[in-house]
Amino acid sequence: MYEVRFHGRGGQGAVMAAQSLADAAFIEGNYAVAFPYFGAERRGAPVLAFARVDANKIYRKTQIYKPDYVIVLDDKLIDLINVAEGLSKDGMAILNSTKKPEEIQLENEVRTATVDATTIALDVLGVPITNSVMLGAFAKATGLVKIESIEKGIMDIFGARIGERIAKKNAKAARTAYERTAIGTCKGGRIFKKEKKWLPTYKELPLGLATRAMKTDAGLVGPGSFVENKTGSWRTFKPIIDKEKCIECLFCWFYCPEGCISRTSNGLKIDYDYCKGCGICANECPANAIEMVR
Amino acid sequence: MSLKIKDLPEENLFTKGHTACPGCGGAIMAKIAMKVFGKNTCAYFPANCLLVFGGTYPLNAFKVPYLHVLFENSAVCAAGIKRALNKLGKEDVNVVAFAGDGGTADIGIQALSGAAERNEDIIYICYDNEAYMNTGIQRSGSTPFGAWTTTTPVGSKIAGKERFKKDVPRIMIAHDVPYVATASISYPLDLLKKLEKVKNMKGFRYLQIFAPCPTGWRLDPSKTVEIGKLAVESGMWTLYEFENGKMTINKKPKMIPVREYLKPQGRFRHLTDEQIDILQELVKKKWERDLAMAESTH
Repeated sequence: MYEVRFHGRGGQGAVMAAQSLADAAFIEGNYAVAFPYFGAERRGAPVLAFARVDANKIYRKTQIYKPDYVIVLDDKLIDLINVAEGLSKDGMAILNSTKKPEEIQLENEVRTATVDATTIALDVLGVPITNSVMLGAFAKATGLVKIESIEKGIMDIFGARIGERIAKKNAKAARTAYERTAIGTCKGGRIFKKEKKWLPTYKELPLGLATRAMKTDAGLVGPGSFVENKTGSWRTFKPIIDKEKCIECLFCWFYCPEGCISRTSNGLKIDYDYCKGCGICANECPANAIEMVR
Repeated sequence: MSLKIKDLPEENLFTKGHTACPGCGGAIMAKIAMKVFGKNTCAYFPANCLLVFGGTYPLNAFKVPYLHVLFENSAVCAAGIKRALNKLGKEDVNVVAFAGDGGTADIGIQALSGAAERNEDIIYICYDNEAYMNTGIQRSGSTPFGAWTTTTPVGSKIAGKERFKKDVPRIMIAHDVPYVATASISYPLDLLKKLEKVKNMKGFRYLQIFAPCPTGWRLDPSKTVEIGKLAVESGMWTLYEFENGKMTINKKPKMIPVREYLKPQGRFRHLTDEQIDILQELVKKKWERDLAMAESTH
C-alpha cells in the first residue's frame, strides 16, 4: 500500500488530482480511494486531499497522517505549513517549485522532486491551476504509475467534470511536467513553530458572548481579528499602481473585496500582505494605472 | 447631498484578512455596507458565505456585534434584537440582517415575510449571488434560467435550471413596507444612495444587492464588477426603489443582447440559441413589467 497526501489551495484542484491518481492506479489493476479533507475552505485557502492505493482491498478509512508521498500544488505552501509532517523516511516530497530539489529545505532530509508547475500550467492551460501538472511529476518521480495511465485518469476525471477539450490540455500538461521533473534529495532541519494557544477558555469570556475583542497567545480573536490572517500568499498576480497615471478616482479603493487598498497622503497604497490578486482593481481602473504582474 | 465615494470613511469595519474567494462580490458588498452603516450597528447572519468567510470562530472580520442565527430566521432574530435595544433605550442602533439569496428567497422567506408584515424596524440586506455558494453551488430560488449549478447539471435531457428567477423584491413590494430597493455592487453611487437611505429610515427596509460570485459563476475573478454592469445593461437585473408606495426606476437599461452578459460566464456556456431566445424574451418581459409598475405608482 502507498498513501499520498495532496497539499493545495482551494480552486487548484487537489481533490480532482487525488481522484485522477486513484483512477490511474485503478486502471493498472489496483484498488484505490481518493477523498478530500472537509472544512470551511474557500478558493485560495490551504486544503488537503488524499489518495490511497493497494494491490488488495483497502479497509483503512482514516485521513492520511503518515503519508508515503506528499504532493504540494502551490509553491508558497512549503514556507507556511510543514508539508512533510509525518512523511515516511523512505517517502518522497513532490513539490511545485522553480528551485532544484537540493535547494529546498524541509523538516527532514527526504527524496524530493521539483517541477515548475505554475509556469507549465500557465503555458499549457493558460491558468495557474497545477493539479494535472503535479500528477505528471508524480509519475516521473515515483514510477508507481505509468504516465499513460495518469493521462487516462485525467481524461476520465477531468473529462467528466469539465469536458474533453480541457481534459486533453490537462493530460498534455501532465506529460510536459513528466519530461521536466528534477529528482534529488532536499535538505532537512527546517523547524516550524508550534501552534500557540488560539482559543480563549470559557472563563475568559463574558456571559452570553462567544468572543469579545481580546488577545490570546496566538494573537487577536473576536471582532475585527481577521487581520491576523494574512491572505497575501494566495496571490499569483500582483497589482502595481503607476503613480504617474493614477487619477485618484478611488474606484479600486471602493471595489477591492479585501479592503487592502488605502488612501494615504502619498496616493493610494496596496497592502500586499492581504491582496489576493483578484485583479478587479486593474480591470476597473479607468486610467489603466494598475498592472497585474506575476 | 448624496453620499460620494470620497466621503466614505477610511476605516473598514469589515476587515481585511477574511477568507473569501479572490474577487468576491459579497465581500465588496459587506465592506461598503459597513462603511456606510458605521460603528453603531449590529449584524445578524443566517448561514451564508459571508458568515463563513467573515467569521470563523474565534476569528471575525466584523468590528461590530455579530451573531450567527439559523438559516430560516434572520429577519425575526434581528427584529427581536431591535425590540430589545429599544427597551434598553438604545433606539439609534442600526440592526442589519445580512442574508444570501438562498436564505432570503427559499429558507428564510417565512420569517422575512412575517417581519415585513409586522413592519419591524430593521434593515434586511439580501446579497444575491444566485445560488447556494457556501455549500458548493446548489440552485436556489434566485438562480436564473439556464444556469448550471451542481443540482441543475447539464446533461442530454436537462441543461441548467429550468425555472425562472424568483423575483423577491416584488414579493417584498407586495408587503407594502416603507422601503424596497434593488442595487448592484457595480453601481457605486446608486448603491451608496440606497444604503444611506435605509440607514436613515424607520420601519422595515429591504435591499437586494446584486453581488456576482466568480467561483460559482465560473467567471474570471477580475470581471466581478464588469459582469455586474453587464447584468444591468442587459436588463437581467433592474435597479429600482420602492418608497412610500412609489416605484422609481434608477437606471434605464440599454438592453444590450443578453448574450453579452452570458458569454463570460461558464455557468451559461452550454446554453443553446433556443434557450438564449427564451431568456431574452423573459428579460424583455421583466423590464416591461417593472416599467409598467413604476408608471402605475406615479
